[in-house]
Amino acid sequence: MSSLPIVIGVGFRDRLIATIRAARPVLESPGVLVVGSEVPNLLEKGAAATLVVSQDLDVGVPVDRHAALKERLGELREFEPSADEPSVWIPRTPGLLELNFVGIDPQQDPSEAYVLEDDRLPLLVFGALSLVSLGAEVEIEGTRLSLPRPAGLLLEKLVTDRTGEKGERDLLVALGILATSSPEDLDELEVLYRPLRPELRHAVRSNLTILSLLAPRSGMPDPLPRRAEVAALLRRLEAADPEAS
Amino acid sequence: MTAAHERRLRELRSRALVRAFDHRQCRHARGVWFRLRRLLALAKEAYALPRDEAERLIGEGHRPDPVGSAIEPPRVILVVPAERLARIASARPLAVRLSAELLSTECLALVPFPA
Repeated sequence: MSSLPIVIGVGFRDRLIATIRAARPVLESPGVLVVGSEVPNLLEKGAAATLVVSQDLDVGVPVDRHAALKERLGELREFEPSADEPSVWIPRTPGLLELNFVGIDPQQDPSEAYVLEDDRLPLLVFGALSLVSLGAEVEIEGTRLSLPRPAGLLLEKLVTDRTGEKGERDLLVALGILATSSPEDLDELEVLYRPLRPELRHAVRSNLTILSLLAPRSGMPDPLPRRAEVAALLRRLEAADPEAS
Repeated sequence: MTAAHERRLRELRSRALVRAFDHRQCRHARGVWFRLRRLLALAKEAYALPRDEAERLIGEGHRPDPVGSAIEPPRVILVVPAERLARIASARPLAVRLSAELLSTECLALVPFPA
């Protein structure tokens, strides 16, 4: 039984790598970046993908790059848009993850959202993604893709209100990002945190308290060995926040 | 707009309203859960104490955290250094989690993470 997590990890990494290969036309489109739960996996050495097991690959599309991205959609032969939600593209063959296209508008209020209407690829544009900016470019088995800067993505995960199972999983993704963050990333996080509105800063701190108390779950980072880091981040953000005391 | 997008937008806006309400209430009754979670998040370890040991600690000058008296029935929640707690043989360790066991503990001692 002790080898089970490794077996899951290897199988999942294969799916992730195959998905990245199949999604290469859109992932290499300028400005497009991977933004969701796969980022901690891809930030690991050699994209080891041991941190988070998920069913989709979130593809962040800056709204000013939407038109250019659409020109590449025809090359996306192994996926097709979902009939119910055309911003989700479903694999035509087993062994791949879904692609979930989401919009990024740097000018947007972090607590708002809107739909970028389009016949081919409509996008839900989440305000919290305005905190995310282009970071490192990595090569994953022949595909060059862009990742967000860890600080912005971590803050996006912590500022977003989610509930239930999905909410807890997203907080554990935040933990995965924290686990791969450097001291400089945490300095940047504090800089991004300070100008947020008070209720958003409170949401960040509230989510950190929830994260600290979550039980471990299969296929996700274990919060127990990282509770001290979460507590240190909570104290740091409280110290940076005149309303937190 | 698709029905799915419309639903997700509606859910997101609802959560934003709840978040704003939560923030306005954070120093009032609704904020008690945040304050309790915060206290626990800053705790490295948690222990259930017999009542007489909790009273002894209070007698030594350890002040109960106000969040304990804001819940019903009231709890005694003390933040105590690890060295002092190590001298209480009857202290029973608890997982630091929002569990029924922890929440039903009448006298709770928390060891903080080092600042």
